[in-house]
Amino acid sequence: MADIITAARAEGRLLLTEVESKQLLQEAGIPVAMAHLAKKPKKAVEIADELGYPVVMKIVSTDISHKSDVGGVVVGLRDAKSVRKAYKEMMERVTEAAPNAKIDGVAIQTMAKQGTEIIVGSTTDPQFGPVLMFGLGGVFVEVLKDVSFRVVPLEERDAKQMVREIKGLPILQGVRGQEAADLEAVESLILRVSDFIETHPEIAELDLNPVFAYSDGALAVDARIVLTEPNGASA
Amino acid sequence: MNVERDRLHRALNPKTVVVVGDKGPNYQWLSNMSEFTGQLYSVQLDEKEIPGIEEKGIQNFKGLMEVPGDVDLVVCAVPRQVTPFIVADAVKKGVGGVAMFTSGFVETGEELGAQLQEKIVGLAREGGLPLVGPNCMGVYNRRLGVKFTNNQEQGEGGEISVISQSGTHGIGITIGAQNLGLAVTRTISIGNAAVLNEADYLEYLRDDPDTSVIVMYLEGVRDGRRFAKLLREVTRVKPVIIWRGGRTKAGAKAAASHTASLASDDAIWDALLRQAGAISADSLEEALDALQCIVRLPRSSKRGLALIAMTGGQSVAITDQFEKGGFEVPELQQKSYDRLGEFFITIGGSFRNPFDAASTIGRETDNLQKILDILADDANIEGVALEMQARDFDQGTERVDGQVKLVQQYRERTGQPVVCLMPEGSPGQMGPEVVTAARYYVAKQGVPVFPSFARGAQALGRAVRYWQWRDETGT
Repeated sequence: MADIITAARAEGRLLLTEVESKQLLQEAGIPVAMAHLAKKPKKAVEIADELGYPVVMKIVSTDISHKSDVGGVVVGLRDAKSVRKAYKEMMERVTEAAPNAKIDGVAIQTMAKQGTEIIVGSTTDPQFGPVLMFGLGGVFVEVLKDVSFRVVPLEERDAKQMVREIKGLPILQGVRGQEAADLEAVESLILRVSDFIETHPEIAELDLNPVFAYSDGALAVDARIVLTEPNGASA
Repeated sequence: MNVERDRLHRALNPKTVVVVGDKGPNYQWLSNMSEFTGQLYSVQLDEKEIPGIEEKGIQNFKGLMEVPGDVDLVVCAVPRQVTPFIVADAVKKGVGGVAMFTSGFVETGEELGAQLQEKIVGLAREGGLPLVGPNCMGVYNRRLGVKFTNNQEQGEGGEISVISQSGTHGIGITIGAQNLGLAVTRTISIGNAAVLNEADYLEYLRDDPDTSVIVMYLEGVRDGRRFAKLLREVTRVKPVIIWRGGRTKAGAKAAASHTASLASDDAIWDALLRQAGAISADSLEEALDALQCIVRLPRSSKRGLALIAMTGGQSVAITDQFEKGGFEVPELQQKSYDRLGEFFITIGGSFRNPFDAASTIGRETDNLQKILDILADDANIEGVALEMQARDFDQGTERVDGQVKLVQQYRERTGQPVVCLMPEGSPGQMGPEVVTAARYYVAKQGVPVFPSFARGAQALGRAVRYWQWRDETGT
């Protein structure tokens, strides 16, 4: 796992790609929808065939931080033909939106079953070091800023509380006939992220956005890791 | 800094104190030490100042090295450019520690100030010298009479310790507590915390047998990781009340990630205090209010309260505030209603919880005693909030004494918390001077008392949340 970080460092990069980020997270036992890198349309189809349809395609570039802003995310690709077409169109869109970005290819992943969207992230506080954030995804985090924080490392009770602290908790507990989310799975994911962050002081920021919370389990669908400045890293 | 605990202990509990550089006409520092129980010396080179010092009966020396015997604490009030020489001498003499009042260091933002601070910090670190400050009021020790302001009390007892980044707030907490009859063991004004930081002091107080409650005024901490870890340990052993000043939403960066953009300084502090089981306060009043409940009341994390107000309107107001504070106002058991029905005056009153009780309690305390006896036997009740009357306090303390005694008896009998509320402007109350005097009088009898329902509810809420945290952590 250190290899991914070492390689990024060697290239002078702070931002890990989604494929790299997910690989690190999976090795740390955090449930992620794995994404596989394809540098050519043919490879993209091979991966999709192997994973099974439908799949999601996302742009892979260390110069692009928010993929959807440049048209770098397509969901619901149902067959090989649509994968090939999507590849070509995505390259055109992204090249137009971000002409200077170096593009590595695309990431193909199984289209995860829709769950309740949550966000789990970490950042480095200037006083207290790594901190963890939890919230509901989308409008809840962006507009209502309905989130909770804890300083790493978290204890079990911290994970329990931070999940229950947000105003949107009833949404996780199931409203309007929606199934209740598996809060234990969410808590366990939070604790694993805390461990992961604690053991890797070279990680400055992490966003798992979204994570899908299901009635049974939770799955990080997108992931983004930013490393600390090479000399600014302090354990 | 890696503090030698014994050495810091000497500095905070000194037998010999030397004040360096005090000046007339007031000789502030030497005057502050007039009740010091140990040996006090002065060091002053200025010929003009020496007669004034000797007039106070204090032996003066021309240099720290000339002072005979061991020195535990040096109070340093020299001009800033002289400080490196004093610190060097203090290291050479092996003094316990230095409390440096002198200011004009990094806090000025000037290059010279920063350089001087770096110099004294370097000297202190190298010499293993605990240096309190600079730019601080130093050390107060109640039992030994080491003071940094005259109205700090000297005497036995005390279980509260105060750490403050602001000298003013260190004094405010100490004197505010004293006014409520709460004795502060020691106060440390830590100023720039250049050598010893917040975590060092917190660690000392964790292991200090004379400290059972800690109050801190903080604006920020220097060794945040260690502080955070330590705080989680300390609160499992003793309550820590943290009044944080300079709260600001700033600090949240316009960052690429959602997490970073939402992680304001304020949000992280709130999270840490909750996570670490510290009691959070936003003002001096909130800190002192919580302190009353923590020090005076038995440990209880329960929330079912009997609310006793004096009128119908107040019974609504008290309920609003205590419910807002997270409390419940349960129905009493039927046997309680039966007993209350025998004597309670229900015309213009009510004994449904909340109580509207003025017509029943009247001028005598007999009926208050009956009510409290019934509540003590009621399994649904886990604590009491009582609107206490200051009536006739201008005539003497007798009536208030009677109520205080009943409250204390209830507390002893049940092991439950009781808070008293003495708001101004209640019907039948006295003028504000009398109510205020009565309130401080009641506080000094050891009963937590508040000038509004809201403050009482919030204060008890803070205490209850803390004890709940202790319950949950099994400590």
